[in-house]
Amino acid sequence: MKFKLPFNKKQSAPIKEAPKENLVRVAHETDHFIQSIKNATNNPADLIIKTLPPNIALIYIDKLVDDQSLNNDIIANLQNNLYETPESLKVALSISEVNISSLLKETIDTMVNGSVVIHVDGYPQAIVANIASRESRALSAPENESQVIGTQVGFNESLSTNISLIRRYIVNPDLCNEKLKIGSRTNTSVSLLYMHGIANDQMVNTLRQRITDLTIDELLDSAVLAEMIDDNSLSVFPQMLLTERPDRFCDAILDGKVGVIVDGSSMAIVCPQSFTEFFQSQEDQNLRWQIATFVRLLRLTAFFLSVYLTPFYVAALTFHYEVIPQAFLVPLSESRALVPFPPIFEALLLEFIIELLREAGARLPTKIGQTIGIVGGIVIGTAAVQAGITSNILLIIIALSALASFTSPSYMMGNVIRLIRFPIIILAGFWGFYGIMLAFCFILIHLLRQSSLGAPYLSPFYPPRLKEMRDSIIRMPIPLTAKRPALTRPEDNNKFEPEPVKPEKS
Amino acid sequence: MAKPIQLSPKEMINAYLLFFVVHGAQIGVGIQGFQRIIYQDARHDAWISVLLAGIATHIVTFCMIKTLEIYGSNDLYGIQINIFGKWIGNFLNAMYILYCFVAFFSVLRNYIEVIQAWIFPSIGTWFLSATLLIIIIYAFTGGLRVIVGVSFFSIILSLWIFPMLAFPMKYSTAASLLPILENDFRSILKGAHSMTFTIIGFEILNIIYPFVKDKKNVRKPVHLALLATTFIYLSVMMVSITYYSEGKLLKTIWATLTLFSFISFPFMERFEFVAVCFWMLIILPNLCFYLWAAYRGAIRLVNISGTTFVWLFSFFAFIGTILIQTRTQINTINTVFGQVAFYVVFVYPILLWLIAQLKKNFTAKKVKNNEQA
Repeated sequence: MKFKLPFNKKQSAPIKEAPKENLVRVAHETDHFIQSIKNATNNPADLIIKTLPPNIALIYIDKLVDDQSLNNDIIANLQNNLYETPESLKVALSISEVNISSLLKETIDTMVNGSVVIHVDGYPQAIVANIASRESRALSAPENESQVIGTQVGFNESLSTNISLIRRYIVNPDLCNEKLKIGSRTNTSVSLLYMHGIANDQMVNTLRQRITDLTIDELLDSAVLAEMIDDNSLSVFPQMLLTERPDRFCDAILDGKVGVIVDGSSMAIVCPQSFTEFFQSQEDQNLRWQIATFVRLLRLTAFFLSVYLTPFYVAALTFHYEVIPQAFLVPLSESRALVPFPPIFEALLLEFIIELLREAGARLPTKIGQTIGIVGGIVIGTAAVQAGITSNILLIIIALSALASFTSPSYMMGNVIRLIRFPIIILAGFWGFYGIMLAFCFILIHLLRQSSLGAPYLSPFYPPRLKEMRDSIIRMPIPLTAKRPALTRPEDNNKFEPEPVKPEKS
Repeated sequence: MAKPIQLSPKEMINAYLLFFVVHGAQIGVGIQGFQRIIYQDARHDAWISVLLAGIATHIVTFCMIKTLEIYGSNDLYGIQINIFGKWIGNFLNAMYILYCFVAFFSVLRNYIEVIQAWIFPSIGTWFLSATLLIIIIYAFTGGLRVIVGVSFFSIILSLWIFPMLAFPMKYSTAASLLPILENDFRSILKGAHSMTFTIIGFEILNIIYPFVKDKKNVRKPVHLALLATTFIYLSVMMVSITYYSEGKLLKTIWATLTLFSFISFPFMERFEFVAVCFWMLIILPNLCFYLWAAYRGAIRLVNISGTTFVWLFSFFAFIGTILIQTRTQINTINTVFGQVAFYVVFVYPILLWLIAQLKKNFTAKKVKNNEQA
């Protein structure tokens, strides 16, 4: 079954002929040049034009350039000396990135990007000096992927800061950084990062192709990009990881994965990503392997509990009383004695309330959000039981499955877990265990059908790779996990020469 | 020689996955109630019948692989056309597609009956049939990779059911097995013959063979899979014989499920309710592989796309499940299908191997003569 996607990944973009305005040259006279810039930029209020007698004009956009270097490095240099030609002026400026441009469009584009345009009267050229300064917040701890043990720094919204963070972790000339521009109107910078000699060329090419083939007008966040370059954009399961942790990002890149960072977005994209890796946290690498294994198994259990516990309750109470042990039947029927609704309605109602609380907590300011979480949970829960619209036991089950869904280290995957519960509850309410099993088989087949950047989504379980299961839902000691995952089809298979687990003490 | 099937490496599977393919295709609805049928013939020596049937599968598979190796990379459909010519070959291919359809249908219908008998007596046959078919269509349209994946997970995720046999073992008496070989050999063989419906499924090898990457290593996983199946059937049979009294086993249609019915945990009783529903995962590979095998044949006969084929096939299966309603009808279909399957699965491959071998020798001689002349 094939659905038509809202955007076509494979279709090549129609070749556009360069419009004429691109070829307009820079005017000789300064007045004329300024007028043409004003026309092209619709005369914005923050366009600043500064004339330095006798023959120099500076044009820039306020707050896009660094005031300090504008004063110290450019104006100070120009005021004290007299320059005849743009070439001599270029040499005199103590700025690292200075160019001479004779095309008007090019000049304006760089100016909008944060350059100062310098025009010398009588020459058909303009000097563009890049002293861009972008407003960005300071680095802070990652809020969505917090860890107890591990680095406490997250990406911020500045592309250059993020890349410098990564370069700090991976000090290696093999770290490749390709810059792409996406969005016909926003012109967002997107960086493609991978390790030369580890990452598979074919995968890098596929990803680059997917990004450059996009024809969209705006790109404001990497989550949008991730959804658009997914293998199957219509699936509810994310096929690429969004992370705000530089250490996680670097670990993935060193495994042979490809990373994408979007300017203005604090989340980086990592792909290919398998289903099991969504339940791994970077903290697992920092803990002892026994504890990491325990935590990973806990998360997997939480996933199954979260998805199937409520449906199981609904199915057992609606159709299969026989499976409930007699000793358990008494408290169950006591707690349900006053409830007027069928189990399916009861469960859906409570799930709905829990989702409401979660959504309200996420939208409200932090301080009020906490109050809503605690007070709402206790008040509504207790009141619902006392009013007799739900049973105590269901309340425990729902709370447990909600709690379990939050253990997923990936927020995206946590959302999926909470969402797929609803259709399963409905199926369980109508067709009991048969409905649950239908949903189970459907999800299994769905997961089998997915791929991430062409790599199997359920790897390393299917296709089964026994050696890689050492670092999947369990984590074996580091000497045993010296191989990179075959998921990424790495050029270099071994991370290091594996040593014996217990070296002889000398 | 027939034209070999050309495939890109991406469509192919590793040889070791054949373990899951063969094992997954064998175990299905039969195991839910094969004890009674074998017991009718072989009495308390039924386990010997199971063992004999298991050995027979090994022999037949040996012949199958020999035949397939002669042709390099081709499936049963191609071999039949090559040996019997275009007309008879195509006729046999059509017959084989029909066989796959009936096998598919009987698995589906039996499972629906089990669900209706054990859990939902009032739920419509059409509903169960339609939902199951939708799941199967979804798996089929994913291609062979997904189907093999389904069979893999079907086995891995249902491993936990096997230890459940320990519960009834507490109440079994080994003395029921004695005296060994009390029944004559003829009735034991008859019992082995009755195993056909339960033990078939490994004939999928005939179709999937060209899709295997490393064809040299085919034997080991396939025979291991057969061994595993025989082991499971043997243990289920042993437990059943020792657990049930003689009269009881003859009256129990789904003896395995009845075995499960008194298993209880602190949090759950009446385990068979879970088991019957969980069985959906176990029959999925059966259904998918028969459907896929039929599809491989159909594209040789007529020009048809996978989507059209799967909808047509499902439509006929759907109509069939609605038409056949009573227990007697289903039983008749099982018996007749078992008879036919015995010849298709156990007799025909050996004949085919002999013919293929003869033909190969004959052709080789002819080539040699031509060279000399």
